[in-house]
Amino acid sequence: MIEIRGLTVAFGAVVAIDALDAVLHAPVCGLIGPNGAGKTTLVNLLSGFVQAKAGEVRVDETALLGMNTARRARFGLRRSFQTEQVVEDLSVWDNVQSMLDHVPNRHRPADAQVHRALEHAGLLDCAAVPGAELDLFRRRMVEVAKALVGEPRLILFDEPGAGLDERESRVLRDAIAAIPDAFGAQVLLIDHDVDLIAAICTQTLVLDFGRRLALGDTRAVLDDPVVRRAYLGA
Amino acid sequence: MTPDSIRRERRAARLALLRMVFVVLALGALVPWLANAYWIKTLTSSLALAIAAAGVALLYGQLGLVSLCQYSLLGVGGWVALRVGHGLHWPFEACVVAGGLSAGVVGMLAGLPALRMKGLYLALVTLMLAGGFQVVISATGFPDGGAGFLGRISGSERLMLPRPALAQGEGAYFAYVAAWLAAMLALLELHRRTRAGRSWALIRRGEAVAEGAGVNVLLYQTWAFGLAGVCAGVAGALLSGAVGQLDGRAFAASESVMLFALSLIGGAYYWAGALVAGLLLRAVPSLLVDLGVNGYLAMVFFGAALLHALITAPRGLAGQWLAAFQRRAAKGRA
Amino acid sequence: MPDLLPFLISGLGVGAVYALSGVGLVVLYRSSGVLNFAFGALGAVAAYVAWSALDHDWPLALAALAAVVTSVAISLTYGRLLAPRLAERESTVRSIGTLGLALVVLGFTEWFWGEQPRRLVLPTDAGAIEFADVRLTYTRVLGLAAAVSMMAAVGLLLARTRIGLAMRALADQRALSSILGIRVLQVDTAAWVISGAFAGVCGLLLANIVRLQATVLTFLVIPAFAAAIIGRLSSLPVTVAAGLIIGMLEAVAVLVPGLAPFRSATPFVIALLAIVLWRDASRKA
Repeated sequence: MIEIRGLTVAFGAVVAIDALDAVLHAPVCGLIGPNGAGKTTLVNLLSGFVQAKAGEVRVDETALLGMNTARRARFGLRRSFQTEQVVEDLSVWDNVQSMLDHVPNRHRPADAQVHRALEHAGLLDCAAVPGAELDLFRRRMVEVAKALVGEPRLILFDEPGAGLDERESRVLRDAIAAIPDAFGAQVLLIDHDVDLIAAICTQTLVLDFGRRLALGDTRAVLDDPVVRRAYLGA
Repeated sequence: MTPDSIRRERRAARLALLRMVFVVLALGALVPWLANAYWIKTLTSSLALAIAAAGVALLYGQLGLVSLCQYSLLGVGGWVALRVGHGLHWPFEACVVAGGLSAGVVGMLAGLPALRMKGLYLALVTLMLAGGFQVVISATGFPDGGAGFLGRISGSERLMLPRPALAQGEGAYFAYVAAWLAAMLALLELHRRTRAGRSWALIRRGEAVAEGAGVNVLLYQTWAFGLAGVCAGVAGALLSGAVGQLDGRAFAASESVMLFALSLIGGAYYWAGALVAGLLLRAVPSLLVDLGVNGYLAMVFFGAALLHALITAPRGLAGQWLAAFQRRAAKGRA
Repeated sequence: MPDLLPFLISGLGVGAVYALSGVGLVVLYRSSGVLNFAFGALGAVAAYVAWSALDHDWPLALAALAAVVTSVAISLTYGRLLAPRLAERESTVRSIGTLGLALVVLGFTEWFWGEQPRRLVLPTDAGAIEFADVRLTYTRVLGLAAAVSMMAAVGLLLARTRIGLAMRALADQRALSSILGIRVLQVDTAAWVISGAFAGVCGLLLANIVRLQATVLTFLVIPAFAAAIIGRLSSLPVTVAAGLIIGMLEAVAVLVPGLAPFRSATPFVIALLAIVLWRDASRKA
């Protein structure tokens, strides 16, 4: 569960997030809004790449903002970037294993965790293939697999399916939707694909100009006339 | 648990490591039978320098960091080895370890200030260090049996550093150095294939990515610096044992620059590259002298080779040979 | 105190060359992102060309011209033919490329002219002026004058001309600048020419002050790197000031008891201190 209270993030005079209050409890939450609404800034804040000017954030009752990036990773925070970050000269297996090198894995041996993550992402058949030889779909799935090792608690996906066709998007969607049950982690998903959000997110937060435009049940939010006017263009 | 492809890859990696160690040890055993005394001495230097080259290659290949003071760190290692050897009469292996560790610490301290800055600054910092070391060591010289901190003997004859008991002769010492080379290469390779190598790969991809994965970027960069320093120090100690002494005037900044250039030309991504670099640094100039060719023409060639390596073949000579070998092997499998 | 003056004046002579070299390095770096490790080598070959010309009884002006033309030609050739092949790579790699150039030039120079040390004796060495108990040869005076005017000219070029503006733009954003219509090629050419010309003049001066030996001259440029570092590879005035101060401190260090054999380490120590103290300002973006 993510609890955000009075969160403000500013870059100089530009206020990217403005006194945001939100409680996100759904297993898979959506985060949508027009470009520049502050979605990626929020994810950057949660993962520790950006500092807050004011406010607090709690994840599973633990204060997040006091921890540095490495500690948050150990705490169980995972994120993907808008551009995939697969390491070219490591194999798929090593790419995922590298996530495990710096987080606690007390409960299961490393090999078992990597195997499980790759299996979930459907990448077992190309485990030994170096990153450089992967197509975009496989790279996107590697990003998903990387988030699943080391007892993840909260996974932030930033447009994980950009550039994928319909069939590939569906595979990705199903993999993400199954994460809370299979791995016990909460997922926060940013995307512009409203169908994807509607299909797998039970709760959605809509940002506009750094402020909360709507928060609640996804269907209700997407039907909200205010949201439609600001974002969906209806 | 692990898929077959991964099991095969891991077995192949283990075999490659064993093969590397075997090749180097075999060289150590066979070359003394084939070469004359002069060439054995030259190749001993080449092997020792290959250890230093491996350190430079590690920094550049794994992290893209340019170190232009590796030969100076070699001097630091040699200095410490000579000092404890003459002053404390430690066994030779202890001198080598002491030399290696000291150079490792100095290397870490050297890299630290510049690691948080643009990559070019690191090259400049190390160049400044090399320049400074050149001045200092020409003035103080290397320990040769005297007392006091600098360990210089005045008037009477300079002492030679005694070699280990089982490596007294030229051929035996050559094999001894080869054993050290195999050990150091194996150490680096093991780093590359485990958590350190993966963390370095993440850092290569991008510091933000690495930090997001929980990697302590500064720690891993510093560790790489320390390793490179240890390589230089071990090489310096072995060189001091080869000749028995080191000359303070032979540690100009240009030597570090050449070492860096040749490590890149040899290939910074494959262990054989370090071996090629060592040969280019010592054996090839000797060969040219034998053939009556001016050594400076070699420098022209090296400069051109460096440019070529940077422009067309970032994996260096060894990498190109490896790629060619792999192509032939793939054709064989097909 | 009056004892210091001769050392300061002589240090000023070397310092002026360090300053001039520093400017040559920074100008090129600012407009192309390349730190020219071959700067010293270019100076060396220029000095040897001048030596050969003087040996054949050429007048000084012509010999100096030949020298500078040589260094400019090599610099330009590299800048237009080889540097573009590395244009896509990061700044460090592009600068390491000039290391290759340095080795080629240095190797050729040592091979062609031989490695015995020589002196570059210029006709202007004969006369001198007396200034506060210090004897300054006409060469030194000319050298100082040349250094000052070249640095002023470059300063004016960058601040007042269109091409200077373009050079400053390129330093910030190369790809963007080309889209905006700035003729990248033209600016590059100017930068490499300036760098080559500065290298040639510095080579002549250093060969006269120190000695004419290729390896020595090539690596004598390292104090210039120290000055450039202190200027954070961007500020010309700071680089000039740093070069002068380094030269003077190096000369004065002779007077400090016990430090005399180590005095040529002064530039390196200063540069290291500068880097350590100012590293926060140069953080990776």
